Amino acid sequence: MKILVCLKQVPDSTTRVKVAPDGKSVVTDGVTWSISPYDEYAIELALEHKDAAGDTVVGVVTAGGARSKDALRQALAMGCDEASLVTGDAVGSLGALGTAAALRSAVLDLRPDLVLCGKQASDDDQGSVGPALAEALGWPHVSVVTKFAAVDGGLQIWKETEGGHEIWKAPGQVLLTVQKSEKEPRYPSLPGIMKAKKKEIPERPADAPQDAATIEVLSMEPPPARGGGKIFKDGDVRAHATELATLLRDEAKVL
Amino acid sequence: MTPPTSGAGALVLLVLAAAGFGAFLYRAGKLYRYLRLGRNEQRTGGLGRRFRDEVVIYLLQRKLLKRPYIVRGLAHAFIFWGFIVITIGTADLLLNGVVGRRVPGTESAVFVWAVDVFAVLVLSSIALAGVRRAFFKPPRMHIALDGYVILGLIAVLMVSLVALESAGVASALVARGQTSPPVGALLAPFLGGPAAVALFAGAWWVHVVTVLAFAAYLPQSKHLHIVTTLPNVFFRSERPRGALRLIEQIEDQETFGAASLRDLSWKQHLDGYTCTECGRCSDNCPALATGKALDPQKIVLDLRDLLLREGDQLLKDPTAAGTPPAHQLATKPEELWACTTCAACVEQCPVTIEHIDKIVDMRRYLTMQEAAAPPEAQRAMTNIERAGNPWGEAASTRADWAAGRGVPTFAEKPDAEYLYFVGCAASFDRRNQRVAKALARILGAAGVSFAILGTEETCNGDPARRMGNEYLWQQQAQRNIETFAAYKVRKVIASCPHCFNTIANEYPQLGGRYEVVHALQLVQDLISEGRIAFSGGETETVAYHDPCYLGRHNGIYEDPRAVMDALPGVELMEIEPHHRERGFCCGAGGGRMWMEEQPGQRVNHRRVEQILAAGEAQGTQPAKVASGCPFCLIMLEEGVGAKGIQEQLRPVDVLELVASRLGGDTTVERTNA
Repeated sequence: MKILVCLKQVPDSTTRVKVAPDGKSVVTDGVTWSISPYDEYAIELALEHKDAAGDTVVGVVTAGGARSKDALRQALAMGCDEASLVTGDAVGSLGALGTAAALRSAVLDLRPDLVLCGKQASDDDQGSVGPALAEALGWPHVSVVTKFAAVDGGLQIWKETEGGHEIWKAPGQVLLTVQKSEKEPRYPSLPGIMKAKKKEIPERPADAPQDAATIEVLSMEPPPARGGGKIFKDGDVRAHATELATLLRDEAKVL
Repeated sequence: MTPPTSGAGALVLLVLAAAGFGAFLYRAGKLYRYLRLGRNEQRTGGLGRRFRDEVVIYLLQRKLLKRPYIVRGLAHAFIFWGFIVITIGTADLLLNGVVGRRVPGTESAVFVWAVDVFAVLVLSSIALAGVRRAFFKPPRMHIALDGYVILGLIAVLMVSLVALESAGVASALVARGQTSPPVGALLAPFLGGPAAVALFAGAWWVHVVTVLAFAAYLPQSKHLHIVTTLPNVFFRSERPRGALRLIEQIEDQETFGAASLRDLSWKQHLDGYTCTECGRCSDNCPALATGKALDPQKIVLDLRDLLLREGDQLLKDPTAAGTPPAHQLATKPEELWACTTCAACVEQCPVTIEHIDKIVDMRRYLTMQEAAAPPEAQRAMTNIERAGNPWGEAASTRADWAAGRGVPTFAEKPDAEYLYFVGCAASFDRRNQRVAKALARILGAAGVSFAILGTEETCNGDPARRMGNEYLWQQQAQRNIETFAAYKVRKVIASCPHCFNTIANEYPQLGGRYEVVHALQLVQDLISEGRIAFSGGETETVAYHDPCYLGRHNGIYEDPRAVMDALPGVELMEIEPHHRERGFCCGAGGGRMWMEEQPGQRVNHRRVEQILAAGEAQGTQPAKVASGCPFCLIMLEEGVGAKGIQEQLRPVDVLELVASRLGGDTTVERTNA
């Protein structure tokens, strides 16, 4: 089986993101970039499949600038077999539909049996590239997937639902958006890192967006600063408990 | 005394000696070839220290005579010293028996007396050892038939020696004018006539044949340590104890860590031959004591057994790698991950075995080659890569603790004398930020010129290196070394013993050489120079907990105590018997700070119990327990919290005790305030 994982490079979750002076973007200076966490889960799911079925080939692709190659190398170091970068001047302003269109030509070229995406990217949380790519390809797609397995005549897919899961079956090519893998995404081995450094990453031109962006960001605001906590000190523990319950109900409105 | 070996006797002796020593040499040659399967390693620098080690550790048995082991240590020393004296006597017997020549000096009165005195001491020590094994089995000691065989052989040697001397004196075989062996002379009156002559010949043969049997048996036995300890002590590592081995040109290597017995050095295999199975390492291991899978003695013996089992095959096929030393059958990964690298084992080993190096080499294989570190360890390493700290806190907030405290960065104060390397714990952990603030106040009060790197500082790499990720350590170290160079840093203060250890002992491996002090060393100097004035402070009993990377790894036991002694109102309490070089780890070293701790009791909970027990034994419970390490502080805080005694026993850093007593200042942040 050939699996293609589409990933996105995003500011790492440990980075404190700041809004740029234009009020519409974030400051990229000093940002550590990494693979979006749901995409890491998608890679882990693909590699677990490869661990179990040796003839599996796992490719990764992303649409982005030169910096995105680091994310692809990270995926190669984890154990993916090949990587390609869809890039071009317009790649920064593609939007979800444009990104899906750019990835579509890569998918048609690479001809995977299965495409995995993270269910959403951790920077914009849009969650639309995966379904849009499935649409562009004319493939079926299943979202919020936690597990899949090859079975007779297709793929069995575990989709998470509220409090449980559904099991789906796809007879042919399919796109899945991944919620989580059973194991944490693997840490690369050092031979893996060294091999990944030497691998060629072919570039494919991203087509210019076919139609002008239909949506745009008008402004960005950081979340409001967190207020100080409240500490109950000394005195009667029972009274504290009562007061706490009242506050949780009336002020925090969580009860 | 004339040996009973005329004519045919001498020939028989010659044949027996050839057989005994031949068997010894055959097996020894094999062991040597196995050993040479190991990686090459230079171990010949610093000859002066190596010869001094031989005198102190080998001849004077210094490491055997440690606090809790003094009686059995002495018993061993008597057997050992006796072995040296009596071996000379035995060589004399054999030489005299085969070619009729005497070893020079063996006829002197001093030597004849020494032989007998030691024969008695050895015999008593053997009896003690036998009784101990049979009836008072020491915890963790590996009791096997081998030990009894050895004790039995030594006993036969001593009894036959005394018998042949007594019979020799009784049958007037000791020539006139020669010194009579004192014990022999004492027993001689009970023997006489032809029986004595027969006894003399019998005992002589028993003695000599036993010696030869001993030689043949030795290389099959743990008793081989009488031979291998000599080179094992001589070739012990010249690295500082706190420094792990550098993997040079790491990017060009094909395998990483101990993937095969061939990847361990010849010296690590010699360690295996030298292990006496005494169990002192295991006896002092905090992981084993709290029910973890790790047993340091087993690590050493597993490697030795694997070498003995697969040595022939590896010699036959130079391309074979054999079973990886860290495999599921003998040394399981969970044993290796349980190690806190506290060095209690290394400290106690009487024959200078280097346990931590083996464990780390096997961790290197698991982490770098197999990418099989525990998930929490992998998370910590990813955090170091991405955020420059193992907790994954935002790198841009590293210096937030210092805001508004007049703590300059090197960029602001390029001529500062000292770099204060804050470390991740004091930068990001709220509890330990108070320690960084305390040190900043002390340095300010004493007028020390210092600056921090601010957000340019990154994790020193110690957790990664001890989790087996040498590559990540080198990257982190290189980044810091470059930053230090950019600011021409020459002197470094660290309030974290792990930062201190890796910058002082390991950065030189990558060319980073600085004058590094732990904050408590510097504070002690400032106090003795009169640069810090104290004004009062509450009267309180404070226990001192030795951090492993200050104490055992770097020998800094006195400075923190001297600082506490200088503090008004502080009554220093020792956590006996687990203090100084027997200090018990907090459980966080070796990267364990970021790993799950299972099964068994948590190491830090045991440590808190030890503090309470010491208080009980001494009749005063300490109000605080002070340490000099951020990880110890976190672990002790968790320990007292879990036991619900945080009001009775408050963990602090010694620096906080100092800061709270600085002259004329009342704005000190109180612990737990």
